[in-house]
Amino acid sequence: MLNDLHSIKEAVREEAEKASSLQDIQDLRVRYLGKKGLLTSRLKDLGSIPKEQRPAFGSLLNETKKHIEGLLEKQEGLFKSSELNRSLQTQQIDITVPGCFTPWGHLHPITRVLDEIVGIFISLGFTVEEGPEVELDFYNFEALNFPKDHPARDMQDTFFVSDDVVLRTHTSSVQVRTMEKNTPPLRVIAPGKVYRCDADVTHIPMFHQLEGFMVDKNIRMSDLKGVLQLFILRVFGSRTSVRFRPSFFPFTEPSAEIDISCVICKGTGCNVCKGTGWLEILGAGMINPRVYEMAGYDPDRYTGFAFGMGIERVAMLKYGIDDIRLFPDNDNRFLKQF
Amino acid sequence: MKASYNWLKDFVDINVSPKELAHLLTMAGFEVEAVEAIDDDAVFDIGITPNRPDCLSIRGIAREISAILGTHFKDISVNIDKEQGKGPDVVIENPELCHRYSARTVSGVKPGPSPEWLSRRLESCGIRSTNNIVDVTNYLLLEIGQPMHAFDLDRLEGGKIIVREAGECDSFKTLDNEERKLSKDVLLIWDANKPVAVAGVMGGQNTEVSSGTVNILLESAYFNPSSVRKTSRLLNLSSESSYRFERGVDLQAVSIALDRAAQMISELAGGRISGITDVYPRPYQQRIISVSLDRVSSVIGIDIDESFFVKTLLNIGFYIKGDGKVRAVTPPSYRNDVEREIDIIEEIARLYGYDKIPATLPVMQMSPAPEHKTQALVKTLKDSMVSSGFSEVINFSFMNPDSLDKLNLPPGDSRRNFIHIRNPLRKEDSTMRTTLVPALFNNVSMNLNRGEKMLAFFEISNVFISTGQKLPEETIQMAAVYHKGPVSSLWQAKHDGFYDLKGALENIFATLNISNVSFIKDTSVAPYLHPGKSGNILINNEKVGHIGILHPVVSESFDIKGDVAVTEIYDVASILKAVPLKTTYVSLPKYPYIERDVALIVNDEITVSSVKQVILSIQSDIIEAVNLFDIYKGKPIPKDKKSLAFSIRYRSASKTLTDNEVDELHSEIIRKLQINLHAELRS
Ligand SMILES: [Zn+2]
Repeated sequence: MLNDLHSIKEAVREEAEKASSLQDIQDLRVRYLGKKGLLTSRLKDLGSIPKEQRPAFGSLLNETKKHIEGLLEKQEGLFKSSELNRSLQTQQIDITVPGCFTPWGHLHPITRVLDEIVGIFISLGFTVEEGPEVELDFYNFEALNFPKDHPARDMQDTFFVSDDVVLRTHTSSVQVRTMEKNTPPLRVIAPGKVYRCDADVTHIPMFHQLEGFMVDKNIRMSDLKGVLQLFILRVFGSRTSVRFRPSFFPFTEPSAEIDISCVICKGTGCNVCKGTGWLEILGAGMINPRVYEMAGYDPDRYTGFAFGMGIERVAMLKYGIDDIRLFPDNDNRFLKQF
Repeated sequence: MKASYNWLKDFVDINVSPKELAHLLTMAGFEVEAVEAIDDDAVFDIGITPNRPDCLSIRGIAREISAILGTHFKDISVNIDKEQGKGPDVVIENPELCHRYSARTVSGVKPGPSPEWLSRRLESCGIRSTNNIVDVTNYLLLEIGQPMHAFDLDRLEGGKIIVREAGECDSFKTLDNEERKLSKDVLLIWDANKPVAVAGVMGGQNTEVSSGTVNILLESAYFNPSSVRKTSRLLNLSSESSYRFERGVDLQAVSIALDRAAQMISELAGGRISGITDVYPRPYQQRIISVSLDRVSSVIGIDIDESFFVKTLLNIGFYIKGDGKVRAVTPPSYRNDVEREIDIIEEIARLYGYDKIPATLPVMQMSPAPEHKTQALVKTLKDSMVSSGFSEVINFSFMNPDSLDKLNLPPGDSRRNFIHIRNPLRKEDSTMRTTLVPALFNNVSMNLNRGEKMLAFFEISNVFISTGQKLPEETIQMAAVYHKGPVSSLWQAKHDGFYDLKGALENIFATLNISNVSFIKDTSVAPYLHPGKSGNILINNEKVGHIGILHPVVSESFDIKGDVAVTEIYDVASILKAVPLKTTYVSLPKYPYIERDVALIVNDEITVSSVKQVILSIQSDIIEAVNLFDIYKGKPIPKDKKSLAFSIRYRSASKTLTDNEVDELHSEIIRKLQINLHAELRS
């Protein structure tokens, strides 16, 4: 009897291995496990076995049944998955057909660069302030130590609305407005549009600047260097060299111009950097005590620094744009690249 | 300022190459923009900042080089060989405008060409050689930075000089043969009877030195900087002289330059030098500035060594008194830019070398930053528009006032309250924009011309409305345009751009959790929109903007073929007001929903929202949502009718609905639609 069960197991294994289709497996199942199957008929023989042997034989019979079922299922699984594979192979699509149109627009490159720069300064604890684009001469010039009839005003070609109203020539106009409303410590950036009465191959009459300033007790010029160096390395990469050199702005003293190693030639000299290997990127300096006086701060108590940069210039260097006039042109083919 | 390397070497020992010198000058605040090799010389083109008029001269730049290199500075010394007779008569009537006027005459000169070395030096610095007398005055202008003028003495009536304002004299012919209109307060140089020069700006033709000149009067003076600047602006005439006077010349060098010029002229053109007349009503006042060494160190962020401080300031001609931590510093007369302690600190930082200052990070107290909600909102709007397929444009804030006519804006429209720019670059850019749309229409037109298709643009920028106050009102607006054009791809959609644009706006409102938004038809919405395809946008029943298809006549005037959908949000801040302060979670439904569809045939003028209103007016708390899923016109629907198909979702919050309950309500809805809207059921 035992041998009989064993030989059934072996027979099923052999036949299952030889099976060539799902149907063969199903036939096997009927033949052995079906109502009239071989194993089922053994179960009926149970009555002819001596009573005391019945439990052992019964459990052996069950075990064999399970074994056969497992065997058939495994074999069946193999057939099913290979059959599915075969059928999937026939369902080919052309993956080179263009994707379905999902509308997606583009931010203007100036916005992208501004967002990045603003993000860096916000991470350093700066806050964003704004001021009007049509501005009083006082905030744009006088409060920043550009007296009327002073040659320093020649540095910026100004659009006038009236004798004492101008289109702001720089975002520095936000400095005194912010100081008037707040008390130190101040960490402020002011991004926005500015205007200069100048249009040629390298100038557009409206462009973007970002002004930043910091006022507190004991702010040093070395802090200006530290903060701006950190910023520049973030924007232009950690291999950028930075150079600070003396300059002049009426509202800062000492004043500095900040150059970075040319992003095109890496400092060896090319026509973008006019052979110098350096590109001017920022104007900065320690806030002139006269500005504090204008804002009603005690110049003996506070020190601080201010800086300003042209966003179009940063964008041109970052993206390799060689014509500033592309920014206000708004050509779709240009916009789509950002 | 152009400076010759060889000329500089007259004043200072230079032990580095021109290229190296250019670098050192740049790093000391004198940006060398170019170095040009000329024969055996090199000419530096140096950007001199407005605070350093003393360096608008070879002598001034040489002084800086001596401080940078630590080499010897050889100043000029002038000895007039022989003086004959007294100087000319000079009267200054307005000493506020002329602080000093010194003059000498030189008699018996022979004007002629200058020697080659002289004309070469002038030309290397960009000044044309004329004759040995005028050339000497220009030579001194470049060398010492003192503008000078030579008059033909025999054409000066009375042989005298009066410094006086123009008064009644309203025009004057300058050397360049131009008749100049004057105003009363322009400072002039007069002889006994007539004006002979515009002080500090340009001489007159009536007393010009010519080849026949025998006797000359040499002028060296100090004119009030802002007066010279005003005059130069009024006459629209800037000269090498006015450029220097505007910035301030060295009051103490006025007579030195005069003596050197007289001496050089007598050497080159012959002649006898008279005694000097030096009228000096506003003498130079020395400034004494108290400087704390600790302050110098703390502002720069370095430890300034006392000996470095003293040596540096001495090298650039400053005087220092006292010892200890606070010193009394006197700047030289040519440094009129140095007035305060901070100016001295700048000198120390500059000559210490910015590159040697360490980079540190400031220690600051944390302080809460005020929330900048508008900024955040603008960013959300931009991101939302971009995700709806719109690209951002940034146009100039200028506007052509004619474009308001193109938009058909009536005379009283607030957008006609624009402000003018006094000095625009072009007439088309002469006002600040009061609306964003003309520029966007131009963007569409330009891009269509360049062959671009499916244009979807938006802009968020300020508009400027004049309110009669000094400053206009600046409001952040948003506008968007969509030119779909004939679409011929796989992804063709049947409706025009209106609904795409509306969808983009709905995205924005959904992103911001603003729910009470409605689009209401209004024929008077905007005169440049299609009257049948436009309407207002309302949030909480308040008008915040409009949307529509551009009027075909307006499209044409902007040179656009095909429909343009356009929307404007008048004030971005108004959207901010509607953003709910907090978001409250509503628990998820526990019971399943049942959906029933209804397809109606209604008259064309029945709107989707009127159907929804009828459905929602039924008092029942199990109508969860009504969604339009089809609009159809055409056979077999009658001509002036359309079919609208809705799916209505029913759900109870307290139990599982039965089909019977839903069917009952659904039939009631259909009955009501049939009665109220004369709708027929489509089978
Ligand atoms: Zn380069």
